Amino acid sequence: MMPAATADISGFVIRTPHLGEIQWQPGSELFLPAGLPGFENETHLLPVEVPVHRPLVFLQSLKRPDLCFVSLPVRTICPEYELLLSYEDRALLAMRAGEPPRIGENILCLALLLPSGSTVHVNLNAPIVVNLHNSRCIQCVVSESVKRYRLGDSGNWEPSC
Amino acid sequence: MLVVRRRAGEGIIVAGDVEISIVEISRTRVKLGITAPRNVSIIRREAIAVALENQLAAAFLAEGALDTGVLHLLGGNGRKIPQRTSGSADM
Repeated sequence: MMPAATADISGFVIRTPHLGEIQWQPGSELFLPAGLPGFENETHLLPVEVPVHRPLVFLQSLKRPDLCFVSLPVRTICPEYELLLSYEDRALLAMRAGEPPRIGENILCLALLLPSGSTVHVNLNAPIVVNLHNSRCIQCVVSESVKRYRLGDSGNWEPSC
Repeated sequence: MLVVRRRAGEGIIVAGDVEISIVEISRTRVKLGITAPRNVSIIRREAIAVALENQLAAAFLAEGALDTGVLHLLGGNGRKIPQRTSGSADM
């Protein structure tokens, strides 16, 4: 099987059907010790920002060129969003003892975009959380309930059931 | 539903080769230890719904999202991403 990524003098290159050719440097990828629910083997995702699509963050699989998630920082959706991390989640993220999670300071919190007819929605109770100190990443399932926001026609996010 | 009372340190056996132990009981939580063959899938109940959502999320780009107006609403200009994209991870 061909490797998904190849290396040259400038770093690694992955050719993808959605984002084209992506050049990246070792160490810039996210490490997901538990993968994602439903994608447990996806332990390395490359965060990609494309200027014309900011603030979107594309999470490109380094194992499967055809697999790429689209996400947004949660506070672009819900500015007052706060995150509570369980002991187990903090351990998976290898957070320092006594270090509270602070979005934008020591953690990045992203919501995956889910297609929904002609628009998209997000579940803020299942954010992708990145420890900015070590690039470890988990999908934190906050509770069994769903905190869903839907992108309205005007481009504003609206809470939905 | 079978309901069984257990104390910390005790456990139950399921189907002969799956052992669920009560490791610790606190005021609001119970810590479980599970020993099972590698081929037995163990997943938290709340993660099942998220796994289904993730399948949807993975299909977003495959369904041509970059060619629709949805991304325009999200702050991008809706144009298709150039085929040679310089990957950036400086977040």
